[in-house]
Amino acid sequence: MAQTVILKSNRYGINLILDDQVGFDKLLTDIIAKFQEADSFFKGAKMALSFEGRRLTQEEEMRIVNAITSHSSVSIVCIVDNDQLREQMIKEVIENQEEEAAVKTGQFYKGTLRSGQVLECETSIVILGDVNPGAKIVSRGNIVVLGGLKGNAYAGAGGNPGAFVAALDMDPVQIKIGDVIGRSADKAFWPKGKKKKKTEPVVEPQVAIVKDNNIYIEPITKGLLNNL
Amino acid sequence: MSEVIVITSGKGGVGKTTTTANVGTGLAQMNKKVVLIDTDIGLRNLDVVMGLENRIVYNLVDVIEGNCRMKQALIKDKRYPNLYLLPSAQTRDKTAVTPEQMMKLTDELREEFDYILLDCPAGIEQGFKNAIAGADRAIVVTTPEVSAIRDADRIIGLLEANEIKQIHLVVNRLRMDMVSRGDMMSIDDVTEILAIDLIGAVPDDEQIVISTNQGEPLVGRMDTLAGRAYSNICRRVLGEEVPFLDLAVKSSVWSKLANLFKKN
Repeated sequence: MAQTVILKSNRYGINLILDDQVGFDKLLTDIIAKFQEADSFFKGAKMALSFEGRRLTQEEEMRIVNAITSHSSVSIVCIVDNDQLREQMIKEVIENQEEEAAVKTGQFYKGTLRSGQVLECETSIVILGDVNPGAKIVSRGNIVVLGGLKGNAYAGAGGNPGAFVAALDMDPVQIKIGDVIGRSADKAFWPKGKKKKKTEPVVEPQVAIVKDNNIYIEPITKGLLNNL
Repeated sequence: MSEVIVITSGKGGVGKTTTTANVGTGLAQMNKKVVLIDTDIGLRNLDVVMGLENRIVYNLVDVIEGNCRMKQALIKDKRYPNLYLLPSAQTRDKTAVTPEQMMKLTDELREEFDYILLDCPAGIEQGFKNAIAGADRAIVVTTPEVSAIRDADRIIGLLEANEIKQIHLVVNRLRMDMVSRGDMMSIDDVTEILAIDLIGAVPDDEQIVISTNQGEPLVGRMDTLAGRAYSNICRRVLGEEVPFLDLAVKSSVWSKLANLFKKN
């Protein structure tokens, strides 16, 4: 005869794998038998309980817990919901919401990010200052740098390829959007350009986006912004 | 009111020890009571630059471990009676001291000195953490090179994270001839990247090498550009507003003449 109850230990305590064919009363006596059998092993352990394989009503869950505690020295701290399907569904919904919120909401950070400093953000982020070489910003949403981006930027960190990175002075070491990485061209850090001119070099704001699985950096135009 | 200033850079060999020796001596010339602390345990050399190596009996670690009293370890400078050096230990390493012990030590010295200058070791490990523990303000030394600036940037970030608010920059070893050719970063280029206030620019001067080897700090020698630059830094440390030197002055007269002869 196949077992109607299987005890399996997990990180938090015990996972009960239940048969969903037998009647509930039969199941209950089997559970009691199992726990009595293993009582010397548990020795008054405190554990979390989870169920698998059979959908139980709240009342049934309570009856199982009562049966276990009254027939063995085990004490049940809590019941952990272990329905994988439901968990998966909840996870997806939450992640989708997070993704959406990440792009739609944002935060400000004032100050210069220096080498070795990492700024991680669950939402989009606007940096009021420079991001120096060796520094890194990670955001689940978009990244806007009102200053020079000379370090690393990682937008859409949840895997969203639709995120963008914009900067007033775009000179990054690396940009990653979603799962696409782009690195700067091999050039000397100094001198910039061929020869330093007396006049200030013209820098224009640029934005980095993903197109055909590549990172493209383009000047910010009205048309481009509409398509973001 | 006394101030504890750490002189640091991240990268090695950019002139921390030279700057400590010169700024310390310069402040002493301005009648401040100054003590220099070499926190580079295991690689001491501030004593050599100051020309005081032969006077060392006790050191920083001896004071911290209670092997001697503070007074016994402090070495009085041979030129200025109000300048002292607390040398580092050569036979130990950075782990011989903790940041808490350093803080206690600097607090003890505050009672007697106007300025306590800490010569920080290169790197960001234990030695750096020890050196910045008791500091009120910092002077970050860099050269106009990409590697030194990158490290200085990291250091400034760490200083800010450790609540050291007043951070100033010294750009060392500038070669104005290279800057004017566009082969070296200018002071403006450096300050633009690091985004902190400049407290001094020191030209690359062979007199520095000579003075270091002789154990005689150059500060106050008004016949040298570097000596004048260091004097100006000291005055700015005291809070004076001093205009920056025109470092190109020398090359414009002499090297132009020399170039003329070369061409002919």
